[in-house]
Amino acid sequence: MAETADPAKIQILKDALYTEARQHGSESRLFTQKDLTDLNVIPNDNVILLLLVVQALCDDKLFVATSHQSGLAWRWRSREDAKKYTSLPNDETMLVYSVIDEAGADGIWNRTIKHKLNMHEAVVKNCIKYLETQRYIEGMKNVEHPNKKMYIKANLRPSDRATGGPWFTEGELDTAFITELQNIVFEYIKKQSAYLGSQGGHRDAGASRVPKKGTIRGAAPEAGESSRGVKRAATEISNDDQPSPSAKAATENGTGATTTARSKAKMVFLPMPAGYKSYPTVSEIAKLIHATGITNNTTLGEADIQQLVDVLTFDGLVEPITVNGRKGYRVTRASKQDTVSFAKRQKDREAGIGLDEPPNGVQPSSNGLTEAPCGRCPVFELCEEGGPVSPSNCVYFLRWLGLDDTRSGPV
Amino acid sequence: MLVTKYLAELCSLLIDDLYGELPSRIFAALLLRGRSSLPELCNYTSMSARQLRHGLAVLHQHNLLFYQVDSYNGVATYEANAEHAYNLIRAGKILEMIDTSFGAPAKDVMQSLLLSGQTRIGDLVAAYQDKIDHVNKAAKAVKDETSEWDEPNGTTDETVAEKRPDLAVKSTNQLNAVICRLVEAELIDVVHSKTFQTSFDIYKAVEKEVMDTHFPGGPRGGKAKVELQQKVAEGLRKVRDESKSLKRKLDQNGTQAKRRKLLFSGGPSNGVKDEHEEADSDPVLDSKQVIRINYEKCLVDLRNRRLVQFATDMIGPTTAYVYGVFLGLLTKRVSRCRLDPEIDITEDDSQGRGYVTTDEILDNLKTSIDLSLGLGKAPRTEISSKAAEKILEDPPKKRRFIEEAEVDGNASADESDDEGGSDTDHSDSDHDHKGPATNGTKVKFADSAKEQRLDRPALLRQHLLLLAESTQRFVRHCGHNDWTVDFVPLMRTMRESELDVVIERTSGREGLRLVRILRSKGKLDEKALPNVALMRKAEIQQKMLEMQTAGFVDIQEVPRDNKADVKKSFFLWFCDSDRSLRRLLDNSYKTMLRCIQVLEVLRQKDKDVLMLTKRSDVRGQEKDVMEKVYYDRYSRFLANEKKLFAQIMRIDDLVSLIRDY
Repeated sequence: MAETADPAKIQILKDALYTEARQHGSESRLFTQKDLTDLNVIPNDNVILLLLVVQALCDDKLFVATSHQSGLAWRWRSREDAKKYTSLPNDETMLVYSVIDEAGADGIWNRTIKHKLNMHEAVVKNCIKYLETQRYIEGMKNVEHPNKKMYIKANLRPSDRATGGPWFTEGELDTAFITELQNIVFEYIKKQSAYLGSQGGHRDAGASRVPKKGTIRGAAPEAGESSRGVKRAATEISNDDQPSPSAKAATENGTGATTTARSKAKMVFLPMPAGYKSYPTVSEIAKLIHATGITNNTTLGEADIQQLVDVLTFDGLVEPITVNGRKGYRVTRASKQDTVSFAKRQKDREAGIGLDEPPNGVQPSSNGLTEAPCGRCPVFELCEEGGPVSPSNCVYFLRWLGLDDTRSGPV
Repeated sequence: MLVTKYLAELCSLLIDDLYGELPSRIFAALLLRGRSSLPELCNYTSMSARQLRHGLAVLHQHNLLFYQVDSYNGVATYEANAEHAYNLIRAGKILEMIDTSFGAPAKDVMQSLLLSGQTRIGDLVAAYQDKIDHVNKAAKAVKDETSEWDEPNGTTDETVAEKRPDLAVKSTNQLNAVICRLVEAELIDVVHSKTFQTSFDIYKAVEKEVMDTHFPGGPRGGKAKVELQQKVAEGLRKVRDESKSLKRKLDQNGTQAKRRKLLFSGGPSNGVKDEHEEADSDPVLDSKQVIRINYEKCLVDLRNRRLVQFATDMIGPTTAYVYGVFLGLLTKRVSRCRLDPEIDITEDDSQGRGYVTTDEILDNLKTSIDLSLGLGKAPRTEISSKAAEKILEDPPKKRRFIEEAEVDGNASADESDDEGGSDTDHSDSDHDHKGPATNGTKVKFADSAKEQRLDRPALLRQHLLLLAESTQRFVRHCGHNDWTVDFVPLMRTMRESELDVVIERTSGREGLRLVRILRSKGKLDEKALPNVALMRKAEIQQKMLEMQTAGFVDIQEVPRDNKADVKKSFFLWFCDSDRSLRRLLDNSYKTMLRCIQVLEVLRQKDKDVLMLTKRSDVRGQEKDVMEKVYYDRYSRFLANEKKLFAQIMRIDDLVSLIRDY
């Protein structure tokens, strides 16, 4: 039995087992004892021989022993990596390096290293310093814990979890990037999910009873302008209505009057008929983003776009709609959306116009409460008759009513 | 109804504004102390019994009071009717609604009813007779001077109408007709003995009666309990329907009613002819009946208007108009917005069928409306008529709405999957068993859509389908040509969207985003939020704290183990919409209260001017008589008053949405 321990033989077996293991799987595959014997390298399935060979491989850092649910298991390590290990000056450094190595792309916190190895802080520090100068490891930043000093193996790219995915640039959430992308996505959905057409004067339904048909006109050039030129019928009607430009229609309410007065150029978005099948889906949006090449140095997957669209949904700007099991998105409150083209708005914003308006979507609607001074009052909770703030000395109300203190009646 | 501090103050201020201080003080005392007898009230208010009786009479006249006479000792106890007190604020809105849907005469009658509280029909007729006589006399005086006509009533009325267009009701016959119409629309109902009892008292009385007659030994077992509940509900419904007695009577000679309606819609304004024929057809109302305004039904109509407004905002005016017509038809037989859990436990047959057909809507649309407006156009190949015509026979299950709020994690994904799956299933099966019908419409579509625009019924259908497809679920397509509305989930959606408006206005779009994330995902750890919202962590923390103070979101601490170490605990954010809405409601009361109080302050400030305008020689000709400085102050005051009242009305929109619809 003694000759089985022959070093030359073991060397051969070692090389054979190592190459065979590399053939059978990637660096992350775990080999159990049975897997190794099944590789048919060790003659006669000799367990003791196997033990010796594996031990030798482990000593050379070519195999890494790990625990597995059925006991011990091993995975192989590349020769270059193994070389790094063997070139390290002492065991401590080796341990530190192995811990960092195991942490992989997520990186590891230096205090975790200390805890895991139960070593003195100075020792760990020394080791890290050595490893860093050797360029075996490097420091990194994790978005989840921006204040922790983390280390990662030098040749690895930090994982998405550590960098925060495509939305982060150098550990910071890139809000400008996100906002711009959101604007583009929103604009695309708006264009694709609503029909740009003309609409009669707004009427408070039920309040006015005047005929409103005078307001359809959509003269030929404009109909052509709208992306789908399906609107022939409307042009026909408009022609015979043209001579009587709906002055009559504009009687009852103010909004009606203004709309019809401006209706010459008034185009609005109209909701698509029910059952419309071509509301843009996430994958279509992703394709668009990809095709335009806006994000040249970041790749955005469908999941990332989904995240973006979800945010728009939560903002109440778009809504999901399922038609025949196809989940598309459409703009909310289509008829209230402005029809200014995206390019023009961009130009305006660069020129400093409309910067205080929300970048996309309509102005939020309001109700009685939010408009009254009390709805926005910072001291609403304190307001009490006889208290420091009370209805009788309320300055907000006076300002709201246009009665500044200077003007409020003579004493 | 839950009466909060601010609501109580608001109610007594309103009564103060309309009926004076005496009833207001009594009302405030009743709200504060609860049910009280006269001697107790004497104690609380330190007023004499005589004064109190006067005040109580006023309150009673305007239905602001409940009372109950103890059957043993004959002592009457009084309780405040806060609901009706709050309704006073809506008077203007109700009048405006009546004006647009029933015309000026009806508005005039309603106004008289509002001013005088519940009234005997006889008294109302007499009052109007007086007014008409007065005007007639004046007209006659004018006429005697100028012309030689001396014809019977009809012509006189006509000239009167010409001379004095502000007199809305021109004869007692017309008055009678107007009242009949309003009664039929349930906007006016009859006062009966139980009107002045609280719902609790009525419940107790009915329960006692049922117990005595059916279960002398008390109900035994589960079955008997259910039976008891049903019997009580039946009894309660009988009490409730008592106020509809007049309407029932009118319904019985239905043919006449129909004839009158046809005539009436022909033209309420061209006086003479109508009146004569109405006189033939109208049943004369019992002059001893006491009538009052039925706020419950008014609320149903106000709700319709509100929904139309919402649809205008969400979809577009033309579609909203169609929706308005449809709602009008649908709610004809709906007498209240919210069903009473005690009364309406069983299926209510009296409401009639709960849907409207396409043809009915078509018949009621104004011919002047162009239905081709407000609809987008798409090539026919892009439209799936199968998906559009999807029929949902059953109202949405309640479970889903609870789930939406409670389930965490992948709830949204689940839900949408589920929806997609079941929907397609559903439409498939529907498609199968009503195949020919759908095909029929399809062919029609094809023919008419090819060259020309769609014909009118098809356009109407498009609008209805659009409403049915909306995420708000304005309409449910419940049969091939039948449409209905599930009010409960729809109002819930509307309430949420109103809450969203407030959140967006106070905390910005980011705040709204966070709240809606929480609403769809349930409780979320603070660490999970930045990823979903795509916002910076610090920003989120700040926003969340801000919104927690405002009461839109809240936080829950969940310890990891028994030691409840704060550092290790989870902190979960959540949003409880109902709680936020309750808080919003109370804030609304407070805001309305402040508006009225500010108005009072302004009144005090310009007291001297206002006193001046009360003088009889100034009244009506303020501009000519008053000095310019004074007149300017006066008109400024009026403008501010108008602004404040308009604001109160708008806040009331919110209150009624949260509380009543």
